[in-house]
Amino acid sequence: MAGSGTVHLRVGDALLRAEHLVVEFPVGHSGEKVHAVSDVSLDIMEGETFGLVGESGCGKTTAGRALMQLPAPVSGTVTFDGVELTALHGESLRRQRPRLQMIFQDPISSLNPRRRIRDIVREGLDIWGLGDKSARDAKVDEVLDAVGIDPVDGARRPHEFSGGQCQRISIARAVVTEPKLIICDEPVSALDVSVQAQILNLLEDMKLRYGLTLVFIAHDLAVVKNVSDRVLVMYLGKICEVGSPDELYERPAHPYTAALLAAIPVPDPGVRPDSEKVLGGEVPSPIHPPSGCRFRSRCPKAQPQCVTDEPEVRLFAPDHYVACHFPLEAGEQLDFARVGVGATMDAPPNGDAAGT
Amino acid sequence: MSAQRFADADYDGALLEVRDLTTYFESERGLVRAVDGVSLTLERGKTLGIVGESGSGKTVLARSIMNLLPRHGVQRSGSVRFEGEEILSLSPAKMRRFWGAQMSMIFQDPMTSLNPVMKIGKQITEAIRQHLEVTKDYANQLAEALLGSVRIPEPHQRMAEYPHQLSGGMRQRICIAVALACGPKLLFADEPTTALDVTVQAQVLDLIAKQQSERFMAMVLVTHDLGVVAGRADEIVVMYAGRVVERAPTHVLFSDMKMPYSEALLASIPKIDEHSHTRLATIPGHPPNLVNPPAGCKFAPRCRYVQERCVNEEPPIRPGVAPGHEFRCWFPVGTPEGKEALERNQRENRIPQAAARAAAPN
Repeated sequence: MAGSGTVHLRVGDALLRAEHLVVEFPVGHSGEKVHAVSDVSLDIMEGETFGLVGESGCGKTTAGRALMQLPAPVSGTVTFDGVELTALHGESLRRQRPRLQMIFQDPISSLNPRRRIRDIVREGLDIWGLGDKSARDAKVDEVLDAVGIDPVDGARRPHEFSGGQCQRISIARAVVTEPKLIICDEPVSALDVSVQAQILNLLEDMKLRYGLTLVFIAHDLAVVKNVSDRVLVMYLGKICEVGSPDELYERPAHPYTAALLAAIPVPDPGVRPDSEKVLGGEVPSPIHPPSGCRFRSRCPKAQPQCVTDEPEVRLFAPDHYVACHFPLEAGEQLDFARVGVGATMDAPPNGDAAGT
Repeated sequence: MSAQRFADADYDGALLEVRDLTTYFESERGLVRAVDGVSLTLERGKTLGIVGESGSGKTVLARSIMNLLPRHGVQRSGSVRFEGEEILSLSPAKMRRFWGAQMSMIFQDPMTSLNPVMKIGKQITEAIRQHLEVTKDYANQLAEALLGSVRIPEPHQRMAEYPHQLSGGMRQRICIAVALACGPKLLFADEPTTALDVTVQAQVLDLIAKQQSERFMAMVLVTHDLGVVAGRADEIVVMYAGRVVERAPTHVLFSDMKMPYSEALLASIPKIDEHSHTRLATIPGHPPNLVNPPAGCKFAPRCRYVQERCVNEEPPIRPGVAPGHEFRCWFPVGTPEGKEALERNQRENRIPQAAARAAAPN
């Protein structure tokens, strides 16, 4: 297996450490597989916000869910707070659930429309039998108040709230069992910019108030930068680049990161959108990903080496890791309207197209 | 038909003129004033950006201009002139002459705006056959050329495929092809890229801009993101609670923003060059109830500049310094009275009433 490497993992005790995660889904009975996540390793320190970025179909949601064992990865290990989740099954895995929670993209469809929001938030406490009845009521009041929902409105149902308020309720539901880690899967991409800012600030407040660690999955790099302590850029199930947000955004080393940065609309009429700077094409099928570097089919710098060898994650600058044979020099401009010579070359005959 | 299309080619006024357009929905709770006295003008080939939060009435405005709202339970008044012709009260049968051929719309969600059980080719040729007197073969050729021009790879093959076989970005390109099929003079794009990734968003917006300049087509770009319209619109209209609260040429709006709401919208966008964990400026509370909107300025309960006068008296729309700049505010941003109002609020620690209770469902 052309490994994606683990050099970017930090020494010391991580709250969550995932090594060599592989998630594959069968395609009907054809024997083919969707290579959703292929050998991704990551570590999340306690109290940090870990940003996971990429386009639709890059495997970021699947990776996030694999951390939760929803579903469990095909291979690889996930260790959470000293417990190896991948070795657990059934009841022992269920016992870990209150400590790991999730917030979903669409706030309205992720709340049961027929239940009162109080009951939705309270359900986790009821299931785990945490505290007596009055303690549970007090806890629900407290978290509703913390997320900015008046507990008096607890008897209302989700349709009576706006999208932003529903996302607040989802956050209340996630924090009520006092988890250590919350995986936020595109929590703001269905919201307006003004509401998005409220929810991002709220997540920061919740993090401080309840001592949370967050995994923040999103496709908007500006949003991820705002909340994250460490950012991992993914493409087609592989790691592209890992680092601290300030460093990574200041000096992207992977052409894909540079492409994502160039695509962000700038709220300044002086900056004309420039189609030369926009990455062309779409994410290829994860059933037959390109050989070698998976990004090569859209990369302006692709060379023959990118067809045959898969780049491993390596140190690029202090605490900045990249998986690319030809990382960007400082100040280098890319012309995304063209692709490199390695982009359209065929895989070598004995090449393992899946990269596994 | 073609004679009809070019009949008013020598009309040299504005392409679209909307005067005091109101659109009210009848509901159990009363009249919902979704669009309340909006006036705007759009010249040929220009791009108008309409910006606002969810519930500000921007989508209803676009649909009301195009006469795409339900017949029942909707009250519309005012005037909508397309090439000088009043179209506000036309029946659907008469509107058919305009839909597709003169004005068309790209919707927000490419997943649901295509017919899932109709081949892509048919969805495009349907409008062509309806409006242009051409043979089936010619319509097919036209559709294939259109697919090529919206950069769909292998257009011939795609004609026989169904929408579910394509990705979201590809489907939005098909929607663009459908909208452009009969060469409309005016294109409404209602949040065309909100459901798409940033990279695909940039591709799709570039594509629309290119088609627009090639066809000398006017466009109304509806979005909640000021970043999307900044480099692409000639003029921007900011809407709040069904009203236009600020209108200006794009460069004027960004350099000399007068309305506190526009300022707050811009400030809430996370900036890529700010350090991580920068606290974002937010707009507290939520847009007002449109059945019983507040008496004074509709934005007053959420405004940093709010004074007594704002709560009691609604500001009229008034002109700014630059030509074409209008806004609706008693204490505009960047003026001595605005500065004074903000300082007074900060000194007296007055915060908008909505900020205290960020979420009270209406």
